[in-house]
Amino acid sequence: MKARPHSARKNEVMHAYLFISPFFLLFIIFQLYPLVWSFILGFYKWNGLTQKIFVGLDNYRMLLNDGQFWTTMYNTLWYAVANILITLPLSVLLGVLLCSPLMRGGRVFKTVLVLPYVTSTVAAGIIFSMLFSSHIGVINGMLKALGLNPVGWLNTMEWSKYPVALLSIWRNTPWYMLIIMSALLGVDAHLYEAARIDGANAWQRLVKITLPCIMPVLMFSLINLTIDSVRIFTEPYVLTAGGPGASSMSAIQYLYTNAFETFKLGYASAVGYVLTFFLIIVSVFYFKSLRQQSGV
Amino acid sequence: MSMKSELMKKRAGIAGVNGALILFSLLAFFPLIWVVLTAFQPTDSGVSFVLGDILKKGFTLTNFTRVAELIPLWQNFLNTVISSVAGTLLTLFFCALAGFAFAKYRFRGSNFLFLFLLLTMVVPSEVSIVPLFVVMRKIGWINSLLSLIIPRAATAVGIFYMRQYISGCPTDLIEQARIDGCREFGIFTRIVLPVITPALASWGAISLIARWNDFILPKIFLRAPDKQTLMVSISLLPVSEGLSTPWPVVMAGVAIATLPLIAAFVVLQRYDIADIMAGANKG
Repeated sequence: MKARPHSARKNEVMHAYLFISPFFLLFIIFQLYPLVWSFILGFYKWNGLTQKIFVGLDNYRMLLNDGQFWTTMYNTLWYAVANILITLPLSVLLGVLLCSPLMRGGRVFKTVLVLPYVTSTVAAGIIFSMLFSSHIGVINGMLKALGLNPVGWLNTMEWSKYPVALLSIWRNTPWYMLIIMSALLGVDAHLYEAARIDGANAWQRLVKITLPCIMPVLMFSLINLTIDSVRIFTEPYVLTAGGPGASSMSAIQYLYTNAFETFKLGYASAVGYVLTFFLIIVSVFYFKSLRQQSGV
Repeated sequence: MSMKSELMKKRAGIAGVNGALILFSLLAFFPLIWVVLTAFQPTDSGVSFVLGDILKKGFTLTNFTRVAELIPLWQNFLNTVISSVAGTLLTLFFCALAGFAFAKYRFRGSNFLFLFLLLTMVVPSEVSIVPLFVVMRKIGWINSLLSLIIPRAATAVGIFYMRQYISGCPTDLIEQARIDGCREFGIFTRIVLPVITPALASWGAISLIARWNDFILPKIFLRAPDKQTLMVSISLLPVSEGLSTPWPVVMAGVAIATLPLIAAFVVLQRYDIADIMAGANKG
């Protein structure tokens, strides 16, 4: 290839910067600036209308002793663990089933299985609140038909997290199923053929070939799922309003309540920063797996 | 003999795989079927959850008109359509443009900027929602759909996806166009965009779903009832008649908010998201 003149090369580079600039511009205005400001607000007491009052580390000190805050952090962790333990293996199972040469459903199974993801969390939350309602709910109706006792899914402290987690699992699984399927389609078919000739059974093929081949995507999904779990807001907001008490409230929901219902904006910012801190720890892993994936 | 047992084994395998898929499909579909079973029930005699009773009760469309009385339905519907369609088109354009630059141009700092872009995915905007609200108030975008459309006109994950896909496309065509005197932006619109149509379709579907279903941001930025999107207004339906809106009316609202997107998705299924993402992964 003939070397292009210097000015042409310069023109290309200029355009490259121009093409990527919208993202960075939007990032600075709508992400970085709020993030920095949020850090500063964490040291103030402010209701959004009157003068801000500098209170130093008071917000963070209060957070440490705020039982409700730690309950919501615990709930968020609970949702993350539920998602990781159920959503991820389930997505792998469904992906493997859908990619199996024994599958006989054409596109029907995939279309139906993706529907929960197309349904909004709000709509699904409203539907779940009807199904899980203690008096008229279909779920309790089925329990009764099986001779079991009805459960106060939405209005007892011991059960309220379960429908929230189920809703999150129901809606998240198809998305991760698609991501994992995309990885499964990339696995070299010759590997399976060779393993079959060597007499490996389906389980051995899964553990020895499939899972190692899709490891980068599994890591990507794992960490993404963690971040998605930390962002849980709509599920408890619609389903249980975070209650009873704060028994099903997520950390983001606690932040929202402080910011937009009780107008403790400084305190809400401090909550945001504690969450950011945890997310940055998770991000170290995220970063590594993505680096592997994109080959940068 | 061994052939026969092999065949039996294969049959058992087919039964197992498809049986499991039928079971999971039912679980996926179960909540949705109740929307249809509930939304058309007359409300006068209370809601029923037994299939026989539901069929006996008959069928009505009045729940849908009742929804339109409770919330500014058409305005909310229009707001959802505008913000999700405009948002999707803008994000496709800017993500593809940036993805193209990261995939096919060599420039100082490109690796660093790309890694930085990946890092920004880690901290979701929800954690700094308070200052974000204040920013929107200062720009005057409270109660404006721009607050939903503009901030996500270029997203890190979209650029990541587009870069992966465009990396796998041949570079010769681009070089040839350049020699023929095509300008850089012309290369993007005339050479790159037509080649990446599958990626645009699948990312478009993903963005559209995300935007249509968005809740926390519209909930915070759109305060006036007629400025809200469908998701915000239907979330208020259960309490709009003082905590006692009949379930059939609520479900009619849910159906209005969900079915258009499901219909669009089923129609668009021919663009196979998983296959296209596989292409992007390999790139």
